[in-house]
Amino acid sequence: MSKRPQAALIMSANALLDGAVVYYAAGGAWSPQLADAIVAVSEDEAGALEAARAAAEASGAVVEPEILPVGTDAAGRIVPSHYREKIRALGPTIRRDLGPQARGEHDHVSL
Amino acid sequence: MYRYDQFDAAIVRDRVTQFREQVARRLDGSLTEEEFTPLRLMNGLYLQLHAYMLRIAVPYGTLNGRQLRQLAMIADRWDRGYGHFTTRQNLQLNWPRLADVPDILAALAEVEMHCIQTSGNCIRNVTADQFAGVAADEIEDPRPTAELIRQWSTLHPEFSFLPRKFKIAVTGAARDRAAVAVHDIGIRIVRNEAGEVGYKVLVGGGLGRTPMIGKTIRDFLPRGELLAFLEAIMRVYNLEGRRDNKYKARIKILVHEIGTDAFIARVEEEYARLDGPSVNADPAEVARIAAYFAPPTYEALPPVSESFEAAKARDPDFARFAATNLFPHKMPGYTAITVSVKPIGAPPGDATSDQMRALADLAELHSADELRITHVQNVVLPHVKLDDVHEVWSALVEAGLATPNAGLITDIIACPGMDYCKLATARSIPIAQAIATRFADAERQALIGELGIKISGCINACGHHHVGAIGILGLDKAGVENYQITLGGDPGEQASLGERLGPGIGADAVPEAIERLVETYLEIRAGKDEAFIDTVRRVGLDPFKNALQPKEAILEAA
Repeated sequence: MSKRPQAALIMSANALLDGAVVYYAAGGAWSPQLADAIVAVSEDEAGALEAARAAAEASGAVVEPEILPVGTDAAGRIVPSHYREKIRALGPTIRRDLGPQARGEHDHVSL
Repeated sequence: MYRYDQFDAAIVRDRVTQFREQVARRLDGSLTEEEFTPLRLMNGLYLQLHAYMLRIAVPYGTLNGRQLRQLAMIADRWDRGYGHFTTRQNLQLNWPRLADVPDILAALAEVEMHCIQTSGNCIRNVTADQFAGVAADEIEDPRPTAELIRQWSTLHPEFSFLPRKFKIAVTGAARDRAAVAVHDIGIRIVRNEAGEVGYKVLVGGGLGRTPMIGKTIRDFLPRGELLAFLEAIMRVYNLEGRRDNKYKARIKILVHEIGTDAFIARVEEEYARLDGPSVNADPAEVARIAAYFAPPTYEALPPVSESFEAAKARDPDFARFAATNLFPHKMPGYTAITVSVKPIGAPPGDATSDQMRALADLAELHSADELRITHVQNVVLPHVKLDDVHEVWSALVEAGLATPNAGLITDIIACPGMDYCKLATARSIPIAQAIATRFADAERQALIGELGIKISGCINACGHHHVGAIGILGLDKAGVENYQITLGGDPGEQASLGERLGPGIGADAVPEAIERLVETYLEIRAGKDEAFIDTVRRVGLDPFKNALQPKEAILEAA
């Protein structure tokens, strides 16, 4: 049985074409939806995510892939742990008309 | 203003073509991100939190109506309808798509603009006093000097891979409005005892994680020797500046580590070895450049405008604007208007494309087709007849740009912070908005008087917090935004760095803390004419230290 890492992890990057925030999803796809992110919980899963990060960086399909800690809210939805990642998930906090928040996405995430 | 010659035009056009090919090669996978990153940075294209960001150079902050209108068009067509004026007198677009950037650069080239050297370890956009050519206290317009430096430093092969970025600022006035003492090289145009015009040269100033005030390395450099002397400085830095540690690579660290005297000796040694005449600009070329900055044709006007005085008497809102946002022009009957891009509660320095077009119209109609971007993130209409000020003001009111707060407590410098920036450790803009909202009352702002609040969202100090009379630095303290407050910074001719007032405080506590600092100042100032910074200089930090305590704690202690 593999040990659990300290926190649940996901991978995020910026899309090559427009720099938009994307999350690493099933089948190696990149999705703008936080809900689509693959969550690594066990140490093995975390290792697989790191391998995927290295591969993503090498392929150059996205820009600056990073692994980041997340939690879940009462409804089981993914919530980034750090305020920086919450801002990335929503868009600029001073311009609610821009970024994913403008499309009503990730409205369960709050700073 | 300066017009591109055939060389400038060719350089910019060629760069657009090159970058178009480089983007295509990145998109088809021929270039890796690692290979592409330095190429995009050489064209001012960064990746930020939510999108790419394009930094457009506005040389020494001067532009005309056609250029600003083109920037508005670009913001509408390829971005999100707004732009952000920066502390380096540039304009940043926050949402360009990679594939569109070559078209944006081509559109910029149409109006003699570009993004070259707005990033990377090279000599960046040269900045200058926003009242260049206007101010009565000016020895001469600093822009011909800045333009000469721009031409010399553009794609200079020897200085394209410096240890770190390099910023030069020039002022031609007694009052330093260009913060030259906190630049890698600061140049003050001065007169010697014989009445000749030359340069006082400061080196090794800077902000960031190791803030320093620049050291004077030449009290008087004859005008004709400027480029060779700069070349000597750059050569010493290029060879001896540290490349082992990014955080110790700026010239200020070299000057600090070897000492000012040793640095001067090395520069002078290098300067003596240089073939000066082969580097210095031909006086005819200097004159050619200077001619582009000839003043506009002014009308002979009386120093007092009756219509202006009548409008002030009639309209208190206009009178308030006139009291705060006008700068005395050297020509009688004219004024320079500071257009505050700090409406109460709005992000400092953000202008919509409609506002840009409104400003372009006003420049063309009323300001000899000239605009200036200030390092305080405002816009200046430099040549407005007093007779026209009321009409200009009315248009500014329509455009949402008539906030009467130039130089006051709500005229806040703020970097983009964590709302946009990848390097940020905390947000800056919401702090600026909260402070501005708290001090919105124009009458109270006028009572408080001149007070520069400057906010950075990380130690890189793009928001100039070290030289704010009140500086605010946003940090990440165990996953929570936390703000350190400094007092006593000054970017001007008496340049000084702020000192930390105490431990950091939470975002919600910042406006109240600023309120208490202001209350303390109002209680102890030696009169209305003693500005906040002067009170801090007179009494030190101690009387202000309670400001960081929550009110309850002060009451309990009492």
